[in-house]
Amino acid sequence: MVDTPDKQEIKDIGDTLLEIAMNLLVSGASIGRIRKTVERISANFSFNTYILISQRTILLNMYDSENDCVFNGLKRTAPHHVNFTMISGISRISWFVVNEDWEIGKIKEELARVKSLAHYPRLVTLVLTGLAGASFCRLAGGGPLEMGVVFIASTAGLFIRQETTKLNFNPYLCIYFAALTASLIAAGFIKLDVAKIHEPAFATSVLFLIPGVPLINAFSDMIDGNLNNGLIRGINGFIISFTIALGLLTSMAILHF
Amino acid sequence: MEWLLIFEKGIWFGLAAMGFAVLFNVPTRTLAPIFVMGAFGGLTKAVMLHYEINVIGASFAGATLIGFMSIFFAHEKHAPPPIFAIPAVIPMVPGIFAYRMMIGLISLAGKTDNTTYTRILSETTNNGLKVMFILMGLATGVGLPMLITRKDSAKDLRFKRNRKVTG
Repeated sequence: MVDTPDKQEIKDIGDTLLEIAMNLLVSGASIGRIRKTVERISANFSFNTYILISQRTILLNMYDSENDCVFNGLKRTAPHHVNFTMISGISRISWFVVNEDWEIGKIKEELARVKSLAHYPRLVTLVLTGLAGASFCRLAGGGPLEMGVVFIASTAGLFIRQETTKLNFNPYLCIYFAALTASLIAAGFIKLDVAKIHEPAFATSVLFLIPGVPLINAFSDMIDGNLNNGLIRGINGFIISFTIALGLLTSMAILHF
Repeated sequence: MEWLLIFEKGIWFGLAAMGFAVLFNVPTRTLAPIFVMGAFGGLTKAVMLHYEINVIGASFAGATLIGFMSIFFAHEKHAPPPIFAIPAVIPMVPGIFAYRMMIGLISLAGKTDNTTYTRILSETTNNGLKVMFILMGLATGVGLPMLITRKDSAKDLRFKRNRKVTG
């Protein structure tokens, strides 16, 4: 337990809690996890925190021990981008707060450190994603040739997705471009008769785009009773799937496949 | 030979899980456990499919195994369970079924020929329902350890002897 904080400190705590909630949300944490983490940290400062989470905004109210509202904040979220290092880092922070009574300054420091942690090198991501695509192809019944084709297609698709994201295209559009590139390459190889088994090579070339995190989170949120958030995440996952299918259809139309 | 082919699948499930783990930017120390979990979860599914158990039930069983393993590794490697569980179940997400459903939905919007329409409709419904139920099974399976033990945090949950864990 920390001493009763002054006004500036309360504002600091509230802002940091909002920041933590926002970072968890955009990194792909389930709603239950966000709520638990925020409540766990604020309880250590002896505040009651109530939080309302939607896909694009977070509302947070903090009450002190006399049940007076001491902080009230609303935050718009950054674009969603799955980052599990962030979730792991924030979980670590929340336990340090509980076990070692971290002060707000220390939490902010650690949060900044977690945010600055490097991602995997781009080449590693590209190659491993290509490998994942090739694995999917093998699981769907493709041979070595098909796997090679899917490897190239997935790697190129992810590259395009990264580049279009950098150019600030609409996120769904980025996925469309990636799906189009990957399926065009796969379909091209099939047309040239390199890949003999059609469906595995063509369908699995875009599987690296499947919205696994939104779809699984959708159901785990709903099981948890957060029906609103679950539904929204499900719809998001559905739109992404639809976008991928559109990419496939476009390349089918282009190559008369 | 048949069994060799099934066990070979374990490697591919593991590799696919690892690819997604890197895409989701997991901490490096969790990569190896994710490979193992993906492989074993996938193997469970593959073996059950071999014995002609429904794909929904098989996916649920694989996800449940992954769910329990994620609690174990969460204690070993000091990271929240979903970090391990979500990349590990992704290879079991029914991508091919989802693909067929989407293609079906789009052709349903276009074709009006009565004979093929009914066939496409029933195939699309079948694929779509499979996708939905498999996803539900995956999410439930992964969450099962927490659901049956009614704990708020994996920290309070252990299957082995008591041992002090920090971090």
